[in-house]
Amino acid sequence: MTLFFDTQYLFVRALKKVIRNPILLFFSLFQPVLFLTLFTQLFKNLGSLPGFPSGSYIAFVTPGILLQNGFTSALQSGTSMVDELNSGFLQNMLVTQVNRSAILLGRLLSDAFRVCVQSVIILVMAYLLGAQMVTGLAGVVVILITIASFGLAWSGISLSIGLATRRAETVTAIGFFLTFPLLFMSTALFPQAFLPSWMQVVSSLNPVSYNVNAIRDLALGGITWSTILSAYGVTTLLAIVTLGATLYQFRKVVS
Amino acid sequence: MGDIISVSDLVLVYADGTKAVNGISFSVSEGEFFGFLGPNGAGKSTTIKVLTTLLRKTSGTVQIAGYSIDHQQPEIRKLIGVEAQESVVDPDLTGRENMTLQGNLQQMKGEELKERVDELLKLVELEQVADKQAGRYSGGMKKRLQLASSLVHKPKLLFLDEPTTGLDPQSRAGIWKYLEKLNRQEGITIFLTTQYLEEADKLCGRLAIIDFGSIVASGSPAELKRQVGADTISLSLEGGGAGGEAAKAKRILSGVEGVAEVFDSDGGLTAHAKDASRLIAKVVRALDEGGVRLSSLNVSTPSLDDVFLQHTGRRIRVEELGRMPDRRFGGRRFR
Repeated sequence: MTLFFDTQYLFVRALKKVIRNPILLFFSLFQPVLFLTLFTQLFKNLGSLPGFPSGSYIAFVTPGILLQNGFTSALQSGTSMVDELNSGFLQNMLVTQVNRSAILLGRLLSDAFRVCVQSVIILVMAYLLGAQMVTGLAGVVVILITIASFGLAWSGISLSIGLATRRAETVTAIGFFLTFPLLFMSTALFPQAFLPSWMQVVSSLNPVSYNVNAIRDLALGGITWSTILSAYGVTTLLAIVTLGATLYQFRKVVS
Repeated sequence: MGDIISVSDLVLVYADGTKAVNGISFSVSEGEFFGFLGPNGAGKSTTIKVLTTLLRKTSGTVQIAGYSIDHQQPEIRKLIGVEAQESVVDPDLTGRENMTLQGNLQQMKGEELKERVDELLKLVELEQVADKQAGRYSGGMKKRLQLASSLVHKPKLLFLDEPTTGLDPQSRAGIWKYLEKLNRQEGITIFLTTQYLEEADKLCGRLAIIDFGSIVASGSPAELKRQVGADTISLSLEGGGAGGEAAKAKRILSGVEGVAEVFDSDGGLTAHAKDASRLIAKVVRALDEGGVRLSSLNVSTPSLDDVFLQHTGRRIRVEELGRMPDRRFGGRRFR
């Protein structure tokens, strides 16, 4: 029971922090918005190439942008954990009777919530720019669940690095080092068939591709359970590894 | 009354091999105001971290209110309040929200918590700004908020790690007032660490002087000062004692009858002597005859600084900007 209440207290605290720093929320959306407006203009004509699944590049690339935002958002999780570790805020919590797991759970849930809010904003913008959602509201809900769980698995990476190194710079550096190659070598920006053959191999093993494909199906095609379930399977495997590492590092800090 | 803290042979070695605490033993009775006085890096914060369940000791035994620090951490956390050295208020939350969150994490809620928060905000005189974000508070206000937060669950034992470091004299005096009130009126046992002599002298009923991870002396401030057994003559030399002047002065001073040990200090010398005020004429004459020019001479009854000097051969250095003036108690100045 303390786990439930303590998680709720810390979740609410995290939400208040987001609401009271609207500038931070704005800047974290800066990159996806830039992608959504300039990047799509730059590659606008790609959509009419033969072999492109949809007529409009913006509709095609929005799932990739959602995923990319999930990446960046997940990075913040690790850096703010480092902040709390180095400022002594975490230690201050640890001398109270708070349920230890709630510290981690409250953070992960608020991360998931934040990425959902950002994703809704991106989806609305994409819609205004002409990207359609064939599966409607139900599709949006499944998309949000997909991104939130992918984001959680990815938070695990930044959190475990943050807890192990206690350096925000390291979290950011390793985060970016992983983010862009994985994004480029996936189906996020181009269809699989457009990639060089060696990259197609990487792409077909890349967890980003699985999640982008699921979201893209929901946005452009329809609900295909096999794509969705394989995305969730990949995310679950990833989450077991990254959140397992986070738990291990967190225990070392807590005890 | 029983011991609320009992520590024996506590050793803490960090993973990198640094031995921060080197086999210390002490105990604190219920209701006491106990202090650790020592310079930066002496092992004060490390000891507090072990006692508050944040760090696992390397060896030794620690009991808090009879609970073992190894096996009964939840029971201990219920009893203790901790004010960390770092500022740990959440700048985005208001003062009241910070305290309410702290109360929630201490398993309190509802009307009971609300009343407690109001009561404490009044105690530390923050009720006017309680609904402003804590990021806009001054350093002193943050410290007061932190103190109030550490009290929210009515702890029996309060740990304060350098509660006034970096504060201006006025804020410092304010904190002292609350601490004395908590200890005297509410009977809360307080364990405080400080590098300020004046703070230790004013607040602590009993203290331990700690240096390089070891306790070098302990007792009440009055006892410790009495043990020094001699007054102090501090003098500074013109030109800071450069060009062998300091060595010469030291030689002359050591030769004056009645002067015990002579130590080097910043730009001058410190000597111990019984009944020092009666030696002044002799000291001045001897130095004058030897051609040593003084810029000031100060005779004082023993301070905790002298206690520290006697046990470690060094003075406590407060390493921070805006340091407190090094005032000696009962000092008479001769210029």
